[in-house]
Amino acid sequence: MATLPSGLPDRVGDDEDLARFLTQSSHFNAFMAKPSAFMPSPTDRKTSVSRHGSDPSDAFWALGRQAAGGRNLHGAAVFKAHVVRSAQLQVLADEPPPRHAVITGWPWLEKDPELQKAKQKELASQIASRAALVLI
Amino acid sequence: MLEPISTVSLCTGYAALQVFARSRSAISREAQDVRKVATALVDSAELSQALFGEKVAAVSQLRALANECAQQGYSGDKDAGIDPLAVLIAESFLRALPDGIPLPEFASEPDGSVSLDWIQSQTRLFTLSVGITNRLAYAWLDGADKGHAVARFNGESIPPLILEGIKAITSHGNIALRAA
Repeated sequence: MATLPSGLPDRVGDDEDLARFLTQSSHFNAFMAKPSAFMPSPTDRKTSVSRHGSDPSDAFWALGRQAAGGRNLHGAAVFKAHVVRSAQLQVLADEPPPRHAVITGWPWLEKDPELQKAKQKELASQIASRAALVLI
Repeated sequence: MLEPISTVSLCTGYAALQVFARSRSAISREAQDVRKVATALVDSAELSQALFGEKVAAVSQLRALANECAQQGYSGDKDAGIDPLAVLIAESFLRALPDGIPLPEFASEPDGSVSLDWIQSQTRLFTLSVGITNRLAYAWLDGADKGHAVARFNGESIPPLILEGIKAITSHGNIALRAA
């Protein structure tokens, strides 16, 4: 298996922990990250995540600050890669930056954007239901 | 920029009615009947005021979120903030919610929509997307059950399937949800 510049394997393992860093206070409540936190960008049809363990170490938050790019960093939603795959989505390594990965395969229906959104929200809800909220 | 609105006092004129309703000075039968009606009116007004106040607060939260997103850009991506038309439609939706239905939490979405979320737990939630059209996308999780659908909002009354879905999630019962 090939290795990426970060030293991680190029295939994201099912048991790997992924982090979706939270830069908007509306994307979480007292106990969970909301489905909106996982919705794909309409520009590239992907959701950015970072490959990292669930331990909120200094390195973890350094990664988060890099992902936030100057915006407020409130915390992260941490979940296993297999959670994404069980929702019939894919998670692919996408370096650089180091440890970056993307959730892809979101439904895209050009002729019915609202139905597309409904399908995406159901899948995002499935990920949200199995993600652990870690606040700074 | 959308301005947050403050809670409006509705007490002008109503204060006199309240004094009469609470007074113990009416003696005649007619006066007692009038006092009963006044009491019922005051109770109703107070209930309406409480509910109205909650909706005003919710609208203010929604507008504050829109302003925050307009200033920051969307979370971690390069997308736009919440579309002002989506905010207006969401406000209409809030005003159309019948009394007794819990008000939602709000969240921004990367395409400029606003999400209205009724979250009971991680596995029991109803999430609705309000964009710039009158077609509303929604999805739900209820334990192992899940689904999604689209419904049309006329600006005045909540689509029945959406209302049924919100009630199913927010009530203690376990009413089965159906797709449109």
